[in-house]
Amino acid sequence: MSAGVGRIVLGLHGSEAVFSEMSSAYPLKLLSPRIEQQNVSVVYILSYGGGLVGGDRIELGVEVQEGAVLVMLSQGSTKVFKSRPGQRLSDVSQGTSSDAITTQIMDVTIDYRGMLFLLPDPVTCFASARYNQIQTFRLKGAANAVVLDWITSGRRSLGEEWDFSRYYSVNEIWSNDERVAKDITLLEEQEPADPPLSQRTLADTLAPYSCYATLLMYGPLVQSTIRPISGEYANISVFKHSTPPDLLWSFSLVREGRGCVVRIAAKETEDVRNWLGERLRPLERILGSDVYHQAFG
Amino acid sequence: MDDDQEAYLLLLLSDSNLPTGSFVASAGLESYITHGLFSPSARGLQGTMDATMDFLRDSLRTYARSALPFVSDAHRAVESMLAAPSNSGQDDASSTAVAQIKALDDLYEAMTLNHVARRASKSQGVALLTLYSKGFSRPAFMQARTPDDSDTLRQTQAGLFIDRLKLEVRREHTHGHLPTCWGILTAALGLSLERSQFLHLFLHARSLLSASVRLNTLGPYAAQQLLLHAVRPMVEREATRCRDLRTGYDVSTISPRSSNQEFDETTHGPAVTWPLGEILAARHDLQHSRIFNS
Repeated sequence: MSAGVGRIVLGLHGSEAVFSEMSSAYPLKLLSPRIEQQNVSVVYILSYGGGLVGGDRIELGVEVQEGAVLVMLSQGSTKVFKSRPGQRLSDVSQGTSSDAITTQIMDVTIDYRGMLFLLPDPVTCFASARYNQIQTFRLKGAANAVVLDWITSGRRSLGEEWDFSRYYSVNEIWSNDERVAKDITLLEEQEPADPPLSQRTLADTLAPYSCYATLLMYGPLVQSTIRPISGEYANISVFKHSTPPDLLWSFSLVREGRGCVVRIAAKETEDVRNWLGERLRPLERILGSDVYHQAFG
Repeated sequence: MDDDQEAYLLLLLSDSNLPTGSFVASAGLESYITHGLFSPSARGLQGTMDATMDFLRDSLRTYARSALPFVSDAHRAVESMLAAPSNSGQDDASSTAVAQIKALDDLYEAMTLNHVARRASKSQGVALLTLYSKGFSRPAFMQARTPDDSDTLRQTQAGLFIDRLKLEVRREHTHGHLPTCWGILTAALGLSLERSQFLHLFLHARSLLSASVRLNTLGPYAAQQLLLHAVRPMVEREATRCRDLRTGYDVSTISPRSSNQEFDETTHGPAVTWPLGEILAARHDLQHSRIFNS
């Protein structure tokens, strides 16, 4: 099996969820703990050394079959380093250099009445890191998906604030043959400006916030989660602020309300986590209390 | 098209009185101010000019990166349709171009995930199609110099195509987004792609400065000063950076494996570069009082 490649196939045999396939190769690691909640399966996406380095390439294929429920989590934030100190095995084995872009690709198929919850911790790109993340979700029939994609400004304890070179993230959702959403974010360090323009850094454009999140939800079984958020949003009335609030969020429906996109910006990552934990509480009925708290603390 | 004709078209298209709906759009600036993000660091004119430029740069940068590929691909689609051999080939060429525009519009709709921007983009896009058919087509009583010269034939064909697209928009078969329609309009008028790209970004920047004046964060003279001395290098820079970007709407499989692919989406595709701007723009309607529609 090639480096960084993984595959998960989850099916339903009777009322029991069964992984008919679960494989991964260095530096990708998949773990599926036993959990209490029936009909829900959890997979942790991990990487050796707790992070990815320049040149690492993860390619994960996932199939959620009819009626199955898969929750994908990470353990702590996904750290993207320019290079991993000491251990350079993956670089050597792939013949890549640490200047190459770290890439994570995920392709997920969700069959009729299946549900996918992708609820990882945020990505943290260290100084000078370069990262591409390309995730595609193909929903068939009345399939459902909840996709969280978020990023922090870096190692703030070391004074890093939006100090990486490049972060490129695509989340694309297809419902049968219709492309319902394609969210593409590119955060890049900016090249020097010529006078009369002064230098404007990535940190300048994202200030005063240190964490940005995008939440995409789609499908009939997440409507009861979308509705209260939509109601709350409609009731907001903004009067003039003298300084920016600590947390800002927006809500937009997509495709006549079959799905939605929520965006959040906050000064603190924990504020985003708490915000999500409160709004996504209706999912607890599906995920069970344990899994729900794994995801949102 | 000769230089004089192109210069004349630029004069017409840069008229701020054109009925394109940009007068009611602030592209998120009003919400940016309401949420306390507009914060001059220095007192006086320099502070407000700097703060205005900060917004302008972030807004133009993300708009150029996300919308210019759609202008370019729409412009190319219409240009190649108009270059098709007359008579027999025209109907096919027109159907092909309609399908291409629909695909572009669909992709832009899927990528524009903020409902306020989507709404503003559609109303301004459709206004551009109407501008062409009502404002730029040749009046029936004004005869062409010779009825079969190539300019006249081109204009006739472009007019028919835009009428056909307007019908598709009215039937809700396509969306009529601003960048797509700008590419269509400028190609129909015969403006070069390079001019079209530059003018589109210039108009975005100028309309933000007009919005600043209406929102009273900048005086009308200061806006002109910025337009003359600061906006040009900014627009030139973004136009240059984004001139070769494509949407990838016509590429069946896209992947970041750049080596043997014709199109590497991660380096040459559209993207949003300012997530804060997305949130603020989407919150426009939540403002207790507001004077713009977006």
